[in-house]
Amino acid sequence: MRYFLAEGWKSTKRNVSLISLGTMAVSIFVLGVFGLILMNLSNVNSNLRSSIEIRVYVEDNLTGQGLGALKQQIESIEGVHRVTYVSKEEGLSRLAKQLGEKAGLVDILGENPLPDTFDVRVFNADSTPDIASRISNLPHIIGVNYGQGFTEKLLSATRFIAVATVVLAVILLGAVMFIVGNTVRLSLVSRAQEIEVMKLVGATDWFIMWPFLIEGMIVGFLGSSLSGICLYVVYRACISRLGLVAPFIPIITETAPVARLCAGLVGLGVLMGVFAGGVFIKKHLEI
Amino acid sequence: MLIRFYDVTKVYPSGATGLFSVNTFIGKGEFVFLVGPSGAGKTTFLKLLTREILPTRGQVLLNGRNITRIRPTEVPYLRRTVRMIFQDFKLLPNKTVYDNVAFALMVTEKPRRQIGALVNEALKLVGIESKAEMYPDELSGGEQQRVSIARAIVGDPTVLLADEPTGNLDMETSWDIMEVLLRINKRGTTVIMSTHNATIVDVLKQRVIELDNGRIVRDDEKGVYEGEAEYNAVLPG
Ligand SMILES: Nc1ncnc2c1ncn2[C@@H]1O[C@H](COP(=O)(O)OP(=O)(O)OP(=O)(O)O)[C@@H](O)[C@H]1O
Ligand SMILES: [Mg+2]
Repeated sequence: MRYFLAEGWKSTKRNVSLISLGTMAVSIFVLGVFGLILMNLSNVNSNLRSSIEIRVYVEDNLTGQGLGALKQQIESIEGVHRVTYVSKEEGLSRLAKQLGEKAGLVDILGENPLPDTFDVRVFNADSTPDIASRISNLPHIIGVNYGQGFTEKLLSATRFIAVATVVLAVILLGAVMFIVGNTVRLSLVSRAQEIEVMKLVGATDWFIMWPFLIEGMIVGFLGSSLSGICLYVVYRACISRLGLVAPFIPIITETAPVARLCAGLVGLGVLMGVFAGGVFIKKHLEI
Repeated sequence: MLIRFYDVTKVYPSGATGLFSVNTFIGKGEFVFLVGPSGAGKTTFLKLLTREILPTRGQVLLNGRNITRIRPTEVPYLRRTVRMIFQDFKLLPNKTVYDNVAFALMVTEKPRRQIGALVNEALKLVGIESKAEMYPDELSGGEQQRVSIARAIVGDPTVLLADEPTGNLDMETSWDIMEVLLRINKRGTTVIMSTHNATIVDVLKQRVIELDNGRIVRDDEKGVYEGEAEYNAVLPG
């Protein structure tokens, strides 16, 4: 085993170029960027889905009894989790809070312009549009609002990025194969004589192949860990900058999932390296 | 019984005939010269025994086993018992004499602690132990051929194939190499050697198989060269 490692390392040092390592690192880095975007989008998505609410606006003339009956009607719709009544007064004070310093606006309005509302939470975010339309068909309802359109857009954006990531991963796999294959080819040429002698004196195919597999592994590891580390550092920098400039963007700030992604990239790089090394050595040795 | 060729024909993809319907038998411990004009099929004969090539037709048996039928994964093990040397030595220039010989044991996954003793024994047998730490390009042709013989015999093969081992050497050095090969043969290793050197064949009086156009045209116990190649004047002494 020591022999294989030593041979693989020696051969890597001799045959791997900075350009090919750099190309590989950049490729995997780009893949990692897409992975991070995807991670963040799906994070936003799930946050949003868990906080999604249907706001139901009720006619002004409804009394306590009518409101109670309406609340029951909404609660009886399948898939509705919880219904909270928000009176127009409460609504106004919430608005005032949101407006903060500009709360003076509310006074200018004089009369409270807000309707009474129900905040409806559903069990499954996907059923939101359906439930919303059923609520709007009930009597004494002025309208419903659940951020129509936005959730759909976010979802399709996430899907698009996911597909793009997969396509990119396939293309990059090709690039990595090419780079590792090229390195292995170079070392094949430089070791052709040695391999001839090995075959001559009865080395097994595995014995001949090991150093090349290890070489592929080393190249894969070097390229991917370079990009993994860069990605991690760059993302951390982004988090702290963004935290100052635009704190409202719900970016993932915990380091654990990001570190996991980076480690995954390194693992992927190593696997692709070994795979590419194996494929090329098999092809060129004709064994 | 050791080696048996049974109706062996080799036609190369180019259409050239290497061997044509060859039948022969070589016993354990024999010393055989393979002679014949260029293109007669000598190298083809030897390559069939290491399974570097497969016959188009027929069987090559080694110890009763048809080596044309063994699985590719078994070929390396065949090559540990049937070793070959060449006129161009095929030594690795970046390894010392010692390491070149040890390489043959290392790639066959011999335990490390056994390697040293075996290598030294092989180097002693071919008479080059004093140059163990030198590199091939610091050695003469004859010395390089000794190293390649040491590498071939270090794992104790049963058959040693030599394809024109003296082809690049002067007459005097050739005799040194012959002496080494005969010594190895005396230890029980079967040796098959192709050559164009008539003097060597005539003086040593061993079995001679003559090929021509891929066919065996002569097979003599204690034979002579008998070909059209010119005799070399230098005799041992
Ligand atoms: N790899 C090959 N591809 C095609 N034809 C070949 C190949 N090797 C040998 N031959 C042909 O097979 C025939 C026998 O060749 P071989 O090398 O066995 O002869 P030889 O007796 O060793 O000759 P020499 O004394 O010149 O070494 C020749 O006609 C040669 O051209
Ligand atoms: Mg030949």
